[in-house]
This record gives sequence, structure tokens and C-alpha cells, in this order.
Amino acid sequence: MDKKETDDKKAAVIERESQTEALREMLRAPAAAPLAPLPLETLVPEVRQQTPAVRQRATRPDARLHGLGQTKYIDDFYLPGMLFAKIKRAGIASARIVRIDTKEAEALPGVVAVVTARDVPCNSFGPSLKDQPVLAGERVFHAGDGVAAVAAVTEQIAAEALEKIEVEYEPVTPVLDPLESLKLETPGLHAPNPNIYGHKVIRKGDVEKGFAASYRIFEASYRTQMVEHVPLEPHSSLATWDANGRVTIYSTLGRITLGRADLARTLAVPMSRIRIIATVVGGNFGGKNEITTEPVVALLAKKTGRPVKCTFTRPEEFTSSTTRHPIIMDYKTGVTKEGRILARQVRLVLDGGAYCSWSETTLAKACILSPGPYDIENIYAEAFVVYTNKTMTGAMRGFGAPQVCFAYESHMDDIAEALGIDPLEIRLRNVLREGSLSPTSQQLHSVVVRETLLQAAQRFGWNGAEVRA
Amino acid sequence: MAKVTLTVNGEARTASVSPETTLLRLLREEFGLTGSKLGCDVGDCGACTVMVDGKSVNSCLMLAVQADGRDVVTIEGLATMERLHPLQQLFEDKGSLQCGFCGPGIIISAKALLDENPDPTEEEIRDALAGNLCRCTGYSKMIEAVRAVARAGRDERTAGSVA
Repeated sequence: MDKKETDDKKAAVIERESQTEALREMLRAPAAAPLAPLPLETLVPEVRQQTPAVRQRATRPDARLHGLGQTKYIDDFYLPGMLFAKIKRAGIASARIVRIDTKEAEALPGVVAVVTARDVPCNSFGPSLKDQPVLAGERVFHAGDGVAAVAAVTEQIAAEALEKIEVEYEPVTPVLDPLESLKLETPGLHAPNPNIYGHKVIRKGDVEKGFAASYRIFEASYRTQMVEHVPLEPHSSLATWDANGRVTIYSTLGRITLGRADLARTLAVPMSRIRIIATVVGGNFGGKNEITTEPVVALLAKKTGRPVKCTFTRPEEFTSSTTRHPIIMDYKTGVTKEGRILARQVRLVLDGGAYCSWSETTLAKACILSPGPYDIENIYAEAFVVYTNKTMTGAMRGFGAPQVCFAYESHMDDIAEALGIDPLEIRLRNVLREGSLSPTSQQLHSVVVRETLLQAAQRFGWNGAEVRA
Repeated sequence: MAKVTLTVNGEARTASVSPETTLLRLLREEFGLTGSKLGCDVGDCGACTVMVDGKSVNSCLMLAVQADGRDVVTIEGLATMERLHPLQQLFEDKGSLQCGFCGPGIIISAKALLDENPDPTEEEIRDALAGNLCRCTGYSKMIEAVRAVARAGRDERTAGSVA
């Protein structure tokens, strides 16, 4: 390497370092940083070049405006002439709607429009199965179903108008227990479709052979409950139509592309006429992954010719947005005397609530991960998701992974205790290693479960961890 | 309709409100101060926290007419883009906020605490923030930030007494 080349390299390093410094500065609260454009080559890293952000203590880019209270969330938008919408909730888990009378609500001074299922061009949507109505028409499937919506000049008037809407219901016996719903003789909620609307099986090796060779077989059942995301910012959306029949929807939605497709379907408007603007979201956690109030405000805005905003009340967050799937998890595990797992059989029953939402994703992920991070030769895992007349379940942090983790780790503890083996030790004897096959027989690389467990045990002072490491 | 006159962030403001209007709605809808958030509307989450006569208050539980003649400070009254309040600076430096929705309420609660007790213990900080819910952060970095502000204030006072 001649001197010139070395000098060039040094100069390049210095150049890059100064650019890195500039980039670091930019990583610090861009809202507050001066508008000084960086050269393109700094912004677009080369292949395999590590971003200078690694190992930096960066402040959040949005921190400044958050702290100043100047970040605008959807509910902070007020357009001129804007109306406020409220949705009437069924409050009954399962019923046929006999009659909806909105006359008195419409007559209330300050009310500009009322819509019901009749006003919805296509009253079904969903991320996979299109089984969810915008507003319930003939049937109510869970207490949080919307049955009518009002737009009024103030939120107070809209709320008052809801009380003036009369709905006559004919109650239908609800199905609330997922195990009951699983039975073939239980009438289908969404007949003629069966209550089991998703099913997955994972087979690896031969569990029967594994159980036959086992020293002991352990069986246990675990259950988790329904969990709501409770983002501090409630779901909110605001719709406004322009003179050329295009609608702009400001929304707390996390998946705007999917939302656009669902809106095109429900409103029967070409996607090219729908613009969704999502801004900073006040907490999502998976709960803002599909449309809720968006088609309702779009319909009300169309009907009134004015911008309409709807923000969920806190109770609506619990009753009318998705929640985490409760899962009933049956485990059967065959082990050797030393605690080595020879076979594991799992059955998961996911309580899907009234509509499908993101159940298919949750079902698959829960099923794939249900045997745990263990090297098990023989696996049979089967998962079902069923309809019940409860708040719908959908995406939430981990898509089913936390539920099964609770089950398999509880199971491991029970087995360890019964065999008189240290709970860490039994895991070390079974964990996935470099090159192990996952439950779906995918060969795994960069596996550091063992190292992670040992380090964790050492750091929180697990008895005996030092010796093993 | 009732007429209310109050001081908001040092400025005299007047509005005509219907009797059921809360202080939060008055601030957000009449005065355009949307920094205070509506999270639950029943005084559980603290996202609407403002200071009224120096005390932190859930503005969703206070009627606008009750604020008549009082002195209200909202998050917007604390600082500007260039000159941050020490709490806002430390919340930024420590990464105390994630989605940020609870932030204005938490910063106001912390300010109300520090105004009254400039050198609080961690327990006192936790107690002062107990009425503010956050779903993202786990609170620890917020508490760290409030402690850092208190510490900086203490150092300043010590330096002052030496000089």
C-alpha cells in the first residue's frame, strides 16, 4: 500500500467520522435540530456498513415536541365546521335486532346526522376473514358492537342523542365458553360457517413413540385471560371529503394500507379516492391494527358534508377494540429420568371473540412457539380458534407468544420439581442449540439460549449459577 | 352559558361555556391548548393534568366554571422550543417518554411536586406521579428524570449558599 493510498484512506475515515458526528447530532431530537441537509452518501449507508446509530445514546427524535405538549395526536385536530360523532353500543352479547328507531335522536337540536347499518355500502371487513360489520345490522355478536352513530355539533349533544336511539333486541343465547364453542353441536355464531374458524397442526417426529420411551409423562392445563392494550390515547379518526369526492381520514390506525383497502370495501369507493393520514400514535401495542371508527366518520362526513371526528371513550377501548386472546393450553410432556424431553403434545384453544380480526396470525404463532425453545424430537401441536360472543380478540404484542410461554415455562417448573432437578438445569438440558431444528423443522442458527440463561442466572444470583458457568 | 375569566399560562382569558364544560374541554376546544390530553375522562389516567393555583388537578374532573378567577398552568405554559423547562430537558435526555401521550400530564405533576418540595425522595416522586398512567415506559426513566432535576436544583442551591 503506497503512501497516497494510506493518506486517502485516512482522509476517508476522517471524512466519515465527521459525517458520523453530524449524523449523531441529527439523531438527537430532529424536531429541535437545525435544518442542515447531510450529503446523500451519509444518509444511505453502504452495504454491510454499520449504522453509526449503534452504541449511541440517542434521544428520541420526537422527544422535544412530546415534552412541550406540541405533538398533535388525532384527537388534537379540529377542522373548521367539524362535527363530533358517537357510536351507540349494543350492550348485549348476543341478539337479533328487531327495530332501531333514530327519529328522536335526529330531532334533537344540534344533531346533524344519524347512520345505521342501512347506510353502510358494504357492511363487512376484516384483516383476513371479512366477518366484522361496521355497524351491526340484523345480529349483535358482542356487547361492544356498534348499532348506530350520531354526528352532532358537540360531543355532549352526540352523547345525549345516543340515549334517544331506541333499539329493540330479541336476545339469542350467547356462547361464552370457548370449549363449548369448540363442540360441533354448538350452533355456529356466524352460521353457516362453523365456530372453529382457524386450525393449525404441527407434527415433528412421532409423539406416541416418544411417550412410549419416556420415564414419566406429565400433563397439565393452563389458561390465560383476556387483556386490553389500554393505549393512553384512545382510538380516534377524523374524516373530511373534498369537493371532488375524495376522502381524507386522519386516524390512529397503525396499518394504513390495510385500512385503505378495508375502507374502499366498506365505503364502496375506489382506493384512489381514499387518503389516510396517520400521525404520531399514542400507544398501539397491536390494538390499532384495523379500522374501527374510520368508516363511520367517513359515512357521517359524507352525509353531512362536514368534517367528522370520533374518539373512543375509555369504556369503548375495552368493549369495542380488539384484545389479547385468552388461550386454554393443554400440555403433555414425556421425559427421561434426567429430565430430557422426548415428546411434547400441545392443544391450544384460542378464544377468538365475536370476529376473526388477527386471529389467524395469533393462532399460527402461538402454535409454532407452543413447544418452547427446547430441542424436542417428537412434537404434536394443534391449535383451534373459535368464535364466542365476547369482545373480539386480535393482535397484541407477541401474537400469542406470551400466552404459550406462560404455559410451557410453568410446565417446565412443574416437571423440574417433580423430578428433583434444578429449574435452570432442566432448561439447560433441553434448550435449542446451534443447528437444532425448530418445531417446524427449520434449522436454527445463532442460537444463544444456553448462554443467555447462564448469564441471566449469574446476574440475578441464581443459586449455583456460578458453578455451572 | 356561563362566562368564565381565568389566567391561563400567565394570560387573562375569557370564554362563554355551557355549564357541563370541563376545564379540559375549555382548554382544548376553546383555547386550542391541546397539550392536555383526554385519556379516560374520569380522573383515572392523569393525561389531562394541569396546575390550578399551583396544585396539580385532573382537568377532566374540574368544571370550567370552577376555574373562574383561578390561575391555570398547562404544559404549553412551561417553555418554548429553545428554552426548555429543566423537567422537559431531562425527560428528553433520559428518554423518559415514548409515545408521549401521558407526557404533558406527568411533567405537570412533577412540576407541581418540585414547586412544593424541591428535594423529594424517590418515594415522594412515585407518590406524586401515582395519578398518572403510562403504558409504554414502565415509569423508571421518568422517576430518574425527576430525580435528576431535583439533584440539579440542589447543586445549584448548594453552590449559591457557598458563594
